[in-house]
Amino acid sequence: MRLDADEREFMCSGHAACPGCGAVIALRIFTKAMGENTILVIPASCTGVIVGVYPQSVMRIPVVHAPMPAGASVASGLRAALDMRGDTDTTVVAWAGDGGTFDIGFQALSGAVERNEDFIYVCYDNEAYMNTGIQRSSSTPYGAWTTTTPGQDWKRLRKKNIVEALVAHRIPYVATANIAFPEDLVRKVKKAKSIKGSKFLHIFASCPPGWRIPSEISVKTARMAVQANIFPLYEVEDGVRYTINYKGKQRPVQDYFEVQGRFSHLTAEDFEQIQKMVEEDWGLLQRKAGYQAADACIQSSSAQRAIKTNKVF
Amino acid sequence: MKQVLEGNSAVAEAVRLARVQVISAYPITPQSHIVEVLSDYCASGKMDARYLRVESEHSCLAALVGAACGGVRTFTATSSAGLAYMHEMLHWTAGSRLPIVMAEVNRALGAPWNIWSDQTDSLSQRDTGWIQLYCEDGQEVFDTTLQAFRLAEWVNLPVMVVTEGFLISHTYEPVDIPEQEEVDRFLPPYNPAFKVDTKNPFTVNSIAPPSIYMEIRHDNAMAMDEVPERFDDVEKEFEVLFNRRYGAVEAINCDDAEIILVTSGTITSTARLLLEDLRDRGEKVGLLKMKMFRPFPVEQVCRALKSAMKVAVIDRNFSSGAGGIFLQEVRAALCNREDRPLVFGYIVGLGGRDVTKAVLEDIYKMTKNSDVPSDKSVWIGLREVKHAIGR
Amino acid sequence: MNVAMGQKPFVAITYETTESNKTGSWRFLKPLYQDKQSPCSAGCPAGEDIGMIEMLARQGLFKEAWETILRENPLPGVCGRVCFHPCESVCNRKDFDSPIAVHALERFLADAAVGAALTTKWERLPQKNQRIAVIGAGPAGLSMAWFLSMLGYPCDIFEALPEAGGILRWGIPEYRLPLAVLQSEIARIEQLGVRMRTNNAVVSETFDELRRSYSAVFLGCGHAHGAPLGIAGETPESVKDGLDFLRRARQGERPLCDGFSVVIGGGNTAVDVARTITRFGGNAAILYRRRREDMPAFGDEIAMALEEGVELEELVAPSAIEYHNGRLRLLLRKMKIKGQDKDGRGRIVFDGKKTVKKVIDHVFAATGATAAEPWYSPPLAQRGVMGFSHCVLLLEAGGAPVIYGGDLTNEAKNVAQAIASGKQAAMVLDTYFERGIDEIKSRLEACVVGDGPALSMEAYLGGPRGGRSSHLVQYGEINTDYFQNETRVTQPRLAVEDRSCSFNEIELPITAESALREAGRCFNCGLCDECDNCYVFCPDAAVIRSGNMENRHINYDYCKGCGVCAVECPRYALIMGGEGL
Repeated sequence: MRLDADEREFMCSGHAACPGCGAVIALRIFTKAMGENTILVIPASCTGVIVGVYPQSVMRIPVVHAPMPAGASVASGLRAALDMRGDTDTTVVAWAGDGGTFDIGFQALSGAVERNEDFIYVCYDNEAYMNTGIQRSSSTPYGAWTTTTPGQDWKRLRKKNIVEALVAHRIPYVATANIAFPEDLVRKVKKAKSIKGSKFLHIFASCPPGWRIPSEISVKTARMAVQANIFPLYEVEDGVRYTINYKGKQRPVQDYFEVQGRFSHLTAEDFEQIQKMVEEDWGLLQRKAGYQAADACIQSSSAQRAIKTNKVF
Repeated sequence: MKQVLEGNSAVAEAVRLARVQVISAYPITPQSHIVEVLSDYCASGKMDARYLRVESEHSCLAALVGAACGGVRTFTATSSAGLAYMHEMLHWTAGSRLPIVMAEVNRALGAPWNIWSDQTDSLSQRDTGWIQLYCEDGQEVFDTTLQAFRLAEWVNLPVMVVTEGFLISHTYEPVDIPEQEEVDRFLPPYNPAFKVDTKNPFTVNSIAPPSIYMEIRHDNAMAMDEVPERFDDVEKEFEVLFNRRYGAVEAINCDDAEIILVTSGTITSTARLLLEDLRDRGEKVGLLKMKMFRPFPVEQVCRALKSAMKVAVIDRNFSSGAGGIFLQEVRAALCNREDRPLVFGYIVGLGGRDVTKAVLEDIYKMTKNSDVPSDKSVWIGLREVKHAIGR
Repeated sequence: MNVAMGQKPFVAITYETTESNKTGSWRFLKPLYQDKQSPCSAGCPAGEDIGMIEMLARQGLFKEAWETILRENPLPGVCGRVCFHPCESVCNRKDFDSPIAVHALERFLADAAVGAALTTKWERLPQKNQRIAVIGAGPAGLSMAWFLSMLGYPCDIFEALPEAGGILRWGIPEYRLPLAVLQSEIARIEQLGVRMRTNNAVVSETFDELRRSYSAVFLGCGHAHGAPLGIAGETPESVKDGLDFLRRARQGERPLCDGFSVVIGGGNTAVDVARTITRFGGNAAILYRRRREDMPAFGDEIAMALEEGVELEELVAPSAIEYHNGRLRLLLRKMKIKGQDKDGRGRIVFDGKKTVKKVIDHVFAATGATAAEPWYSPPLAQRGVMGFSHCVLLLEAGGAPVIYGGDLTNEAKNVAQAIASGKQAAMVLDTYFERGIDEIKSRLEACVVGDGPALSMEAYLGGPRGGRSSHLVQYGEINTDYFQNETRVTQPRLAVEDRSCSFNEIELPITAESALREAGRCFNCGLCDECDNCYVFCPDAAVIRSGNMENRHINYDYCKGCGVCAVECPRYALIMGGEGL
């Protein structure tokens, strides 16, 4: 595939990411889509380590490291400073992991997007605290092993639906993306860049060591999450206009789970249950996107209106 | 021009005149009036600044860290729990060498809830790398806030201007507010040591391995060590323009004093009155006002106390297991000096309890009548109380 | 570090990149660009580089695609029409949706080139001193001459009939292969300097003469002689030769076929005879001793024949023929299936003593053909004789080498195999002249496409194709995530009523748009098409692509060997190998 992105690299080689790291794939494509007028704010995360140890930096664009809860807030302040400096060309990006977004950074994120701060907040999601050694986060999916959900105590709770939480803030743009769909990612990045106010991109990024997968299937595994509707690709504008972006090949969830060591304890009954959960979520999303049931909804509401106004015919 | 202003407003006026560009704050009593006034100034256009209405103090200081990395002048204000919530960011600010100025209105920390004056909130942040300057009244708060920007930007360290809940924050006093042009002469536009810019990309605060972390910290220490001298320079410039100066410490009648009271903040004002009375009665007493707490002005303190037989350190703060915090610092400053005085420590006024002239006089008498100071601080004015558990 | 001196604060601000960290040292497997063999190419007797052809076609590079065909096959217009396209039956895409319509694309490219009067400057090897005589202007001889010309040898073709083409000219009806198509292909061969000597039958004596005056002689005069049925009462009058019938039809005659004719046989010749009869207004039935599914004729051709009114009778074998009231009476024995033959087809046995009698007007035999002269047949293995898959080389004192090819040596007798023979014979002869007899086998082996026996002339000439791995890409090695289900192009045809009364070409051309789309369906198995997936996904920014395909490479200083590029390669053109590679 040819990307509609900058030919230049904004990430150097020589970084310390694990082989096949999904976060780096995401960051590399993301920065190529963004171009040079970008500043990254990176709260504690794998990326915080990957971007380099003093005096080296992986990035050819500016990076401001931030404490783990502070991605959105540091970005807010930086944006304010640029505004005061009259720099309107630069886009401020907060680049955080799932822990820094779903958990410890959520307050700052919620605050910042409620203020509709003009930045792009990217959560690259590898579904656990990977940098600290694969501990469970509120992004860890149902069924997963982590070092803090070991053995038969695997996570029996759903993953937090961060996208819907952001949508609930009714910010101008929320989108999911996935490292296996770079063209879609680039399009969404460019779209986000063109919109003023708070933009949230949720990028699914595999973690070979944390997911217990061989590095070479890093992208393939991420793709399967989309194909199995576990991580649907969609975007929401102004908190209301839903568009589902992927309508390709479909897979049962088992395909996705089976290749990953973190799910190796799951049984056929578990897969069945997870399949149901996924279908429920998928159905919900489709209705929000205006498919089938939504039409019925519109009909019934117009019928109700008709009854209220006594205009039955 | 003299105006009668609430202490909080005096801070706000200084921030306005300092041409701060980004303000970020979260409400907390007794600080809130400062940022209410500032948000009013931003809204009305009286200030050309962005005001970030963040959702917490952690985000508040984080936002200022971001803004300061962006190369603009920044300010916030907080108190008590708010400051405690900033703790991580306090370290981060100093480590990043960002000259952020904060007004910290002393308020007791919970539990239990208490909104009144107590220095434990600011003093317990002593190791975060911030310069701490304690103020006595509205004028000093105004002057110190202006000086804080000059000092912070000179040494590239953040400054906490410490005032007191209600005793300063909500007290109206006449304050001399200079014109903008005069302030501009004192405080030039901010010229940051570094600013994040896409035209000169670099990474700020990447991981510093053991091979370099110590050097970064040492540079920080060197800058801190220079602060007393630089503050003196700032005050000299300030004095030329505004005819006022305070000193890192203020020694009153210390040269011939046998007993010196050591105070900070508003207690100093009460102590000034007591000092006059005692001197009138022929007592050889002196008063040392601690304005600068971080860095601790060891040299100035030792010089002021060198003739005394006894020193009474009065703390409106408390480090459990160690006693008054100023006491610890004063003892530590003196410990290697020959002919050092005996150092007595007293805990007073926690959680906003009144510290009257009588309380201070009791302390003077206790000190005068005692030959051996207690290792611990002596608590003054405790009452017999009943409490619920186990009744 | 004195603040008063205006020293800048020491903040952890970076001033270097990470490029001094050679993360390549982490690697234990190494990605390598490695083009491989596609099953279609290996399945094509001519060894056409189909994956590459479709890649070029998809990019709209029709001329380059056409030239790529010609490197391996001088007769794309012919093969795009009459080849049985074994490439399609092994196409990996068949396991995904349906195979690529390779033949339709080949024909499209050939027709487009002719339509645009494309010519091309071939990089030919320097002219050689050896002059070669080629006997027979059928597909084998034409190919031999074409490839020999590429290799620098002047060639003369001797053809007994008045025009070149052999079976293509005289054995395949025009509704399948229009004359103009064949003529343009032959003209292109002649443009290389090949001299065509038609009406020039070589007999035993002239053959010896050629062996003296030329450096080598290629004997490729085919199996043009229809085989008799070998049944009681058979005479040349009662059982006519199907091939002869077709030949006469193409010479412009209207051979006798009124009334009801039966055609004995199951191959394309049988079907062609029957369909030609219907076009002349006769009625025809094909009688075959096995079942329809066992017929070697193309399924489509059979189906069309039936649509056109040809009857098909299965499981009958002729056993005797006699005249009967001015007509013919054919005695047939019923057959039945019992067990299976080695080739998977049902084994037939007599169905007891059941017989059928048919009274008809004409019987045509189309059960196979043989060489017209016994001396055409290659010598048996002996000293001085070297046998290859598609040709036999005879070296003997007192005469130039003789190389036998085409139907004379091919196990399967069809156009594609004939082309394969011409190509192989050209390589054999060239290697013999240039490097000596001992090098022939190894040189041929180096040019094998996939698991063979198809050979690549491009590889022989040292082109990039020779650098490919011999690995034959399997369906499972294709990353099908990068492909969508798409309908295979359907080649339009004349309606049955329009075709059964004329010799107009039945298969109609596909549009350029369809061709682009169809070529786009191709997996291009094992071939890098610079899709850039490796570049896009490389976490270490270690895929360098500057300019063209040759410059695409991995920066092993940084590549950690994660293998994402190899998995995300849609076409299996990247592999992970040991560090020793």
